[in-house]
Amino acid sequence: MKFARGSNTVITYALGSCIGITFYDPVIKLGGLLHIMLPSRSDPNDPKVFKYADSGIRETVRKLTAFGLVKSRTVVKIAGGAKMFEMKGNSDFGNIGQRNASMVKKVLMEERFRISAEDTGGTYARTMLLNVENGDVIIRTVGKPEKHL
Amino acid sequence: MRLKRYEDMNLQDLDVMKEISSIGTSHAATSLSKLLQKEVRITIPEVSILSFDETVDRIGQVEELVAATLVQMSNEVNGLMLFIFKLDLANAVLGKLIGKHYESFEDMDEMDYSALEEIGNIIICSYVNAFTQLVQVEIDLSVPSSTINMLGGILTVPIAEYGYETDKLMYINAEFIMDGERLSDGLLMLPDIQSLNHILGKLGIS
Repeated sequence: MKFARGSNTVITYALGSCIGITFYDPVIKLGGLLHIMLPSRSDPNDPKVFKYADSGIRETVRKLTAFGLVKSRTVVKIAGGAKMFEMKGNSDFGNIGQRNASMVKKVLMEERFRISAEDTGGTYARTMLLNVENGDVIIRTVGKPEKHL
Repeated sequence: MRLKRYEDMNLQDLDVMKEISSIGTSHAATSLSKLLQKEVRITIPEVSILSFDETVDRIGQVEELVAATLVQMSNEVNGLMLFIFKLDLANAVLGKLIGKHYESFEDMDEMDYSALEEIGNIIICSYVNAFTQLVQVEIDLSVPSSTINMLGGILTVPIAEYGYETDKLMYINAEFIMDGERLSDGLLMLPDIQSLNHILGKLGIS
């Protein structure tokens, strides 16, 4: 999890089945970018809270709130959750991206956030950038123009 | 189970894996040589247990476009085999096979992709064949699946698949040498933890 305030850009590279979640409070120009890899933390003693959607989102929100983030004005965007390989005869393989996406949405809803834009699914990796100056979220993929979420 | 994670492997375990890998990769080089009808040599591989970031750094750049072939292992050993082509190796192989040269993976067509997928599959199969004979285990391989994508995104696949067991990858790096040029490749053998214990047990070091 990375965050910045005022100016600067936070970035996470090459999201495959992982999901990037940006939190941005435009009033105080505070932005956070969380990169999760798996849906849920099954072992409560696992110290890597930011690796999982459930514990990662909650911990990010807790941290950002301590820095003044107000939920009601926070803009949340998500990207990633791709299926990188298509396994013939084993359609379950690589569905982790989809599972990540639905878990992220579920936890965000429980935490009372509305997702204002998303770019999930597909079969390609994405790099996600959040410009803390203006809240702009950019998605970079290979062979396509940059996309503003 | 003696090992709970990849990083529990000690020097002796890694040494044994290196021995086996060296035979596996030389079989792979022989297959490639037969296919291309030219001399292919291979350096002695190093077997390393690396984090995601370290693996990316060893192979290339996180956003670098690479081609990858993935095969699933099942039966006595469950896990994944992943072979990564960087552009230099892809060009060397496609150049010889269909006489084409590319500045980027983006310029390739379906035919080139499928040639690369086949070669990745041949390399993985010959590696695994040598491995099964040596270790005396039965391994079934799935049909291959391929992608051209950012290196970082590709490497998250095994990390996510085994994310609940380990954060590390077993990276086997050997370099193919063709026409005096060293070509980087990345082969990752990723048995699940139970299978890794089984392999080492079979070899008498449990």
